[in-house]
Amino acid sequence: MGRTRKRFVALATSAVVAASLAACGGDGGSSSNDGVGNQEGQEVTEATKGGSITYLQSSVTEHLDPQRVYVGRDISNLGRLVYRSWVQFPSGTTDATEGTTPIADLATDTGTANEDATEWQFTLKDGPVWQDGEPITCEDFAYGVSRTFATDVITGGPNYIIGYLDVPTADDGSSQYKGPYTGEGQELFDQAVSCDGNTITYKFKKPWPDFPLAIASLRAFDPVREDQDKGDRSDLVPFSSGPYMLDGEWDEDSGGTFVRNPEWDGEEDTNRQANFDDITFEVGVEPETIIERLIADQGEDTTAIAAQNITSAQYNQITGDVAERAVNIQSPFTNYLVPNFNRIEDVKVRQALALATNRAAYIGALGGELASTPAQTIVSPDVPGHQPLDTFGSPEGGDVEGAKALLEEAGVETPYPITLTYPIGSASSENAFALLKETYDEAGFDVTLDGLDPSGPYYETIQKPDSDSDLIWGGWGADWPSISTVLPPLFDSRLNLTANSNGQDYGNYDSDEANALIDEALAETDLDAANELWGQLDQLLADDVAYIPLDTTNFYYLRGSGIENYVNSVSTSGYPDLGVIAVAEDAQ
Amino acid sequence: MSLTASSVEQPGDSEFHEPEGDDKAAGKVGVEGRSPAKLAWARFRKDRLSMVSFSVVVLFFAIAVLTPILVAAGVLKPQDSNQDLLNLMTGGLPTEGMSLAHPFGIEPGTGRDLLSRILLGTTLSMTIALSGAIITVIIGTVLGIIAGFTGGVVDGVIGRIIDLTLSFPSTLMLLALSQVVVDRMLDLGIPSGPNGAFVNGFYIVIVLAAFGWPPVARLIRGQVLSIREREFVDAARLMGASRPRIYFKEILPNLWAPILVYFTLLMPAYVSAEAALSYLGVGIKNPTPTLGNVLSGALLYADSYPLFFFTPAIFIAVIVISFNLLGDGARDALDPKAGR
Repeated sequence: MGRTRKRFVALATSAVVAASLAACGGDGGSSSNDGVGNQEGQEVTEATKGGSITYLQSSVTEHLDPQRVYVGRDISNLGRLVYRSWVQFPSGTTDATEGTTPIADLATDTGTANEDATEWQFTLKDGPVWQDGEPITCEDFAYGVSRTFATDVITGGPNYIIGYLDVPTADDGSSQYKGPYTGEGQELFDQAVSCDGNTITYKFKKPWPDFPLAIASLRAFDPVREDQDKGDRSDLVPFSSGPYMLDGEWDEDSGGTFVRNPEWDGEEDTNRQANFDDITFEVGVEPETIIERLIADQGEDTTAIAAQNITSAQYNQITGDVAERAVNIQSPFTNYLVPNFNRIEDVKVRQALALATNRAAYIGALGGELASTPAQTIVSPDVPGHQPLDTFGSPEGGDVEGAKALLEEAGVETPYPITLTYPIGSASSENAFALLKETYDEAGFDVTLDGLDPSGPYYETIQKPDSDSDLIWGGWGADWPSISTVLPPLFDSRLNLTANSNGQDYGNYDSDEANALIDEALAETDLDAANELWGQLDQLLADDVAYIPLDTTNFYYLRGSGIENYVNSVSTSGYPDLGVIAVAEDAQ
Repeated sequence: MSLTASSVEQPGDSEFHEPEGDDKAAGKVGVEGRSPAKLAWARFRKDRLSMVSFSVVVLFFAIAVLTPILVAAGVLKPQDSNQDLLNLMTGGLPTEGMSLAHPFGIEPGTGRDLLSRILLGTTLSMTIALSGAIITVIIGTVLGIIAGFTGGVVDGVIGRIIDLTLSFPSTLMLLALSQVVVDRMLDLGIPSGPNGAFVNGFYIVIVLAAFGWPPVARLIRGQVLSIREREFVDAARLMGASRPRIYFKEILPNLWAPILVYFTLLMPAYVSAEAALSYLGVGIKNPTPTLGNVLSGALLYADSYPLFFFTPAIFIAVIVISFNLLGDGARDALDPKAGR
């Protein structure tokens, strides 16, 4: 999943992740805190229609354009409110398997693949229309995904799908198709994505057996009508095919309101219940203020929700009635550190760093068990094939003696200077990194903390191959529940490393052995066999200390008292499922 | 003529050249012939409030000097984490308040000892404020004397520079430029210190001084305008004294009173400025404590763990109040005619 979505998680400002939540039923620490719920008690009942919902948000929604949105929260919300696609995930379910099994949306079924899954076909239903009453066509789908190729205009989205579609690449590795705005190489794209009446055919370069999962998990394959596309100016002007449409304009700094789309047919699209009449996104509210307002539960805030983690300083206010409106679940999101291979070449030094990483202290500073759980691999526990590794030491970490011994073996001069680059966030995340530094220093390192603004220079700095950072923070959640969306995008040097940027491979990790394993696993069509290979790859990465796992973040959310059918669905990556949510009758 | 000249040649006789009226008054009272400085000190000692604030200020200076020694000796441990004393189910709040081992309690989330952090924070905040105030006063005094004494074009130019500096949106610039300037300072070879503490503190000092000197310069210029018309200045000129000699040997000794007063008023202003800047994310960063960043880290806990919030707040308040009272007392003692 894209880096934009992970920016805010560790900062405890706004959790942004997509993907699934298999381990959701497991305890996120909730059982011991009186009254705070997890997903077990969440179920969908017959709900009353009507009412208004307020969605409180601290971070801005950067994109409403389906091909550009890449923040988990926004992907989930837009998929329930305004954008329909071939397939979708069922709404209101906390069951891991059911929640990540695509069901038909605009397609008549969940698609047919050819034998080696390099070609997929979907057939459009008769009837669904855009918000102006015009029917949605197969060409709209083809046009939608073609926009992703215009990498100069359509930025921010999951551009890597360009590499999947069977469009020839130029010598410099870029696609020969330059998107619909220039039209250069259009015939090449038309061969890869073609419409025959109501049936579309996607052709891929390599097998893509879980392609429907990608359609349902991202918005990149959603249809866009050509006459509504104004390129960059369409970014905040969504043209709806779903139950709601934007009322007036979206203001990047303050949000906007979605009202019912009169052209949408609820009888046909039953997965989206569309219970409430309108939803207002209030953007730019401070995280603490959001939680204070939800705790106070006054006026319009009784029907407010937020994808905002309760800050650790406010945990002790979540008691009694307030606790009943709170939910604590494990998110699909894992945080980690990567050593910079351009600077720390000695594997012993990297191992020493891994052993000295004090996960217990780090998590304690973030707020303890309710905030997150220690991670022992970069693969989140909800992704099939997840296997904890013991290569990084105990879950608590902080093995000072072990690290000292390794540094001595390495024969390096101590204190060994290290720059730890991380995104600036809340006071608690500052403390968390300060405590990491403390244990590293004890073990014989001399850490300089280099906190950078995640919406400014952070990614710019760490993506430079020659950056001065030795240890870099990262966060990741799978785009869809498969290790193929975790390890390759982060550690495949061929995907990431160029002369000017290291892509998502912030540590400049470059291993032929790892790349070969990635190819082998991607070519494997049997899921279990593939997971076996992914396990080998993860072990290889751990032996090389390509990364050091930190923690798996929890979602700790609060809602107003007038909200009904509140479900942190697996299908919406643990974010409140707007497809089923409703306003209680007495709160309307 | 000769009388005045001789008194000019020995300005070191008295630390403070009071305005003429005072000298006369002192002459009447003083049987033993006390110097103006002694007189001022006597007046100062009579004011109980001033003496109390003076002792508090001395105490804080003692803290500032002793804390680094105690930290080095391992008595104070501002970085040690005591997470075993936290309840990690309530977001990391301490399970106990004040205790013998941690008289001010411990920091939520990390379990670091608050007494150690606040004392070390006091040291660093005072160091920043003191260096900032000294540099401010030096720049302001030098430019004020030059402007006031030279007059004409030089006065005009310095006056416009003062206007320009005062009209700069200094807080905004300070925030926007911090990263750029700090990086440039590192390029220039200014040491970064542990975790960038030195260069960040240095940046604050420079910025406080760069935007703090104009009022000092204006004040000094006003004083110099009246002093330069006095006979001992004329005498020095006639005797062919050089400009720097007139500035620093003739005029400066007459300015100690306003400089001292202004200095004691700058200190508290800079202590609170450091705190405000920390809150805005500029300056010395966690884990190195300053009063400002300890306080801004505590803001979130004002409700759930008030002890954490109030101790650094009280420290800042006491420093600011005692310096302000000290400044007032010094002004009263040095210039009794001003009254209150």
